[in-house]
Amino acid sequence: MYLEIKDVCKAYGSYTALDHVSLSVPDGSIYGLLGPNGAGKTSLIRIINRITHADSGEVLMHGKPMTDADIRNIGYMPEERGLYKKMKVSDHILYLAQLRGMSKADARREMDEWLDRFNLGEWRDKKIEQLSKGMAQKVQFICTVIHRPPLLIFDEPFSGFDPLNADQLKREILRLRDKGAAILFSTHNMSSVEEVCQEITLINKSRVVLQGTVGDVRQMFKKNVLEVTTADGQSFNYSLQPGETMHDAISRLNNEYELTGFKEILPSMHEVFVECVK
Amino acid sequence: MSRIGIIIKREYLQMVAKKSFIVTTLLVPILTIVVCGVLPVMLSNVKSDEKKTVAVVDLNPGAPFASVLADTDEYIFNNVEMADGAQTMAEAGLHDFYASQNDGGSGLYALIVIPADFEQTARVNIYSDKSVAMSLENTVNGSLRGILRDQRIASYGIDCLATIIRNCDVRLDVRNVKWNAKGEETLSSADLSMIIGLVLAMMTYMFVMMYGAMIMSGVVEEKANRIVEVIVSTCKPIELMLGKIIGVALVGFTQLALWGVILSVVGAAFGIGSMVSNPSAIAGMAGADQAALDASVQALDQAAGGGSLGRIVQMVLSINFPLIIGCFLLYFAGGYLLYASVFAAFGSAVDQQSDTSQFMGPVMMVMVFALYAAMFSMENPDGPLAFWCSMIPFTSPIVMMIRLPYDIPFWQLASSLAILFATAFLILWLSARIYRTGILMYGRKFTWKDILRWIKQ
Repeated sequence: MYLEIKDVCKAYGSYTALDHVSLSVPDGSIYGLLGPNGAGKTSLIRIINRITHADSGEVLMHGKPMTDADIRNIGYMPEERGLYKKMKVSDHILYLAQLRGMSKADARREMDEWLDRFNLGEWRDKKIEQLSKGMAQKVQFICTVIHRPPLLIFDEPFSGFDPLNADQLKREILRLRDKGAAILFSTHNMSSVEEVCQEITLINKSRVVLQGTVGDVRQMFKKNVLEVTTADGQSFNYSLQPGETMHDAISRLNNEYELTGFKEILPSMHEVFVECVK
Repeated sequence: MSRIGIIIKREYLQMVAKKSFIVTTLLVPILTIVVCGVLPVMLSNVKSDEKKTVAVVDLNPGAPFASVLADTDEYIFNNVEMADGAQTMAEAGLHDFYASQNDGGSGLYALIVIPADFEQTARVNIYSDKSVAMSLENTVNGSLRGILRDQRIASYGIDCLATIIRNCDVRLDVRNVKWNAKGEETLSSADLSMIIGLVLAMMTYMFVMMYGAMIMSGVVEEKANRIVEVIVSTCKPIELMLGKIIGVALVGFTQLALWGVILSVVGAAFGIGSMVSNPSAIAGMAGADQAALDASVQALDQAAGGGSLGRIVQMVLSINFPLIIGCFLLYFAGGYLLYASVFAAFGSAVDQQSDTSQFMGPVMMVMVFALYAAMFSMENPDGPLAFWCSMIPFTSPIVMMIRLPYDIPFWQLASSLAILFATAFLILWLSARIYRTGILMYGRKFTWKDILRWIKQ
């Protein structure tokens, strides 16, 4: 496990932001942190980043309690993006890379590679304010990953990207996962959760209400509905009767129709989310 | 490089590269030189080519006084001959007479009437349909006073009375002699001390305001465009705040040093004369430029033959510049640290620039009070107002500047500085507590009560 959060509590005055929250993010995987606005996701992310501290509970990295020195092993892209508008692209990336402990030469090499990958090479000497929003977002992404952190935290990474750029970004995130990074991925975009996340934790009103792999969670919320296709081209949904097993249902349907296909319908993450939170 | 070093470097380089920094750094000394040195010289050289005609009516028999008014570069005096002057004028009315003289657009500028009882009353009237220039008044005064005086002296019929009176006309020469540490006598000047104090106080005030506001807008900018969340995920909030405060301070010192260099180079070129009328050059002249000062002093001393200029030079040199500059830098640093921390804390408590005013107001009031206290302390630099305001840390960086040239006791300097720095670090600590919470809080206007809560957290 790269990151483990154990029983973390956090209160602001009388308001409880996190109530005994635990989760673990393995290496080389993308972990979805879900929840409605105000559920406590940002509070948790800030605690992992050591911007604030938990009132109780532990944050472990590779089994050891996290220290201030560990923050250079984290790359964090907050939902509200921000860059110094008056700074040059290259200066900005190098500044954040150096703050995270990279040497300038090292940072420069890595930056060149990333700028080329995003076709931003010729923009390196331009000021941030001269960039389009999409380009600025890519610069922000580079700033997040340049120091090759083993733990990446993305808060709504795709917001503000057009579909083409969002796909590019997704490819890069998957590539980083394949290289072994542990990625914590906070989003409201449930279709992207289905596409990229292996495991999720859903927080609602400061508590963990759902946890597990995406497949398990969808199984858990299934409504026992079959999508049935027949030889005459008909297609309909069939809900299992109370007490009826899948096996019973299929043999019954098989007697009535000439079946060409049947498939269990699993709820989308969107439906799971809505059901948990409403 | 440590993280705080990286932050300081960025703050410094970003600000120094700004156009506004370059413009102010170049423009301020140029403007100072223009306003204090070049402009008065230029203005005094500007004289209208056109000579103005002034009619003079002398109502004394034989018009003895009118002839005294000799034409100058500016004025031509026309003696208006009149047989029965007083009567003619009374009949026609003064204004009509003036109009008749001005007839045909000859452009009569003014009419001077020297009444028949001039010798007794010593009163002259200048009539005109416009406000008369000071220079005409001065010319008339200079010429007529002299002759009247000579006449009156002569009327007593005493031999050599003119010489006697001249001898009795005592002009006192008050020299402030100050013993230096070795007991040697040096010349000092109360005026000069006052000017130096005032300039230093104004500079401290301006710099703390200017750079304090820069820190505040920097903090608000970081918060408003949300970069702060990324930065504080790489370093401690206090590192970001301190880095900003130190970076901006270095910008300030760079600017001071550049001004010092520019002004002393120009000052050395212009000579000490322009420096005396432009004391910021002296203040800006750190030890490094002492050689330039000495060189220009020597040159001028020779040129002036050790006359009054030499005295001024001696007065300038009698001021303990190393002490004043040293103390100035210390108070500057302490005052800046104190106010910059306050500005940083307030900057962290607002979402956008326009919301800063509710917190700026009280700070401004304290600073303006300090400036007024400094002005009133000039009257009595050892009085209770000056003493207490130079002890209170919020006013001492400004008020103490006024007192510095007057050799204040060491214990006062030491305790004032100790109080200032102790308070500055306390405020810095409090501000850091406000800052680390404030920068992550969005969405509503925060009040003084919120800020107190953040400190306690």
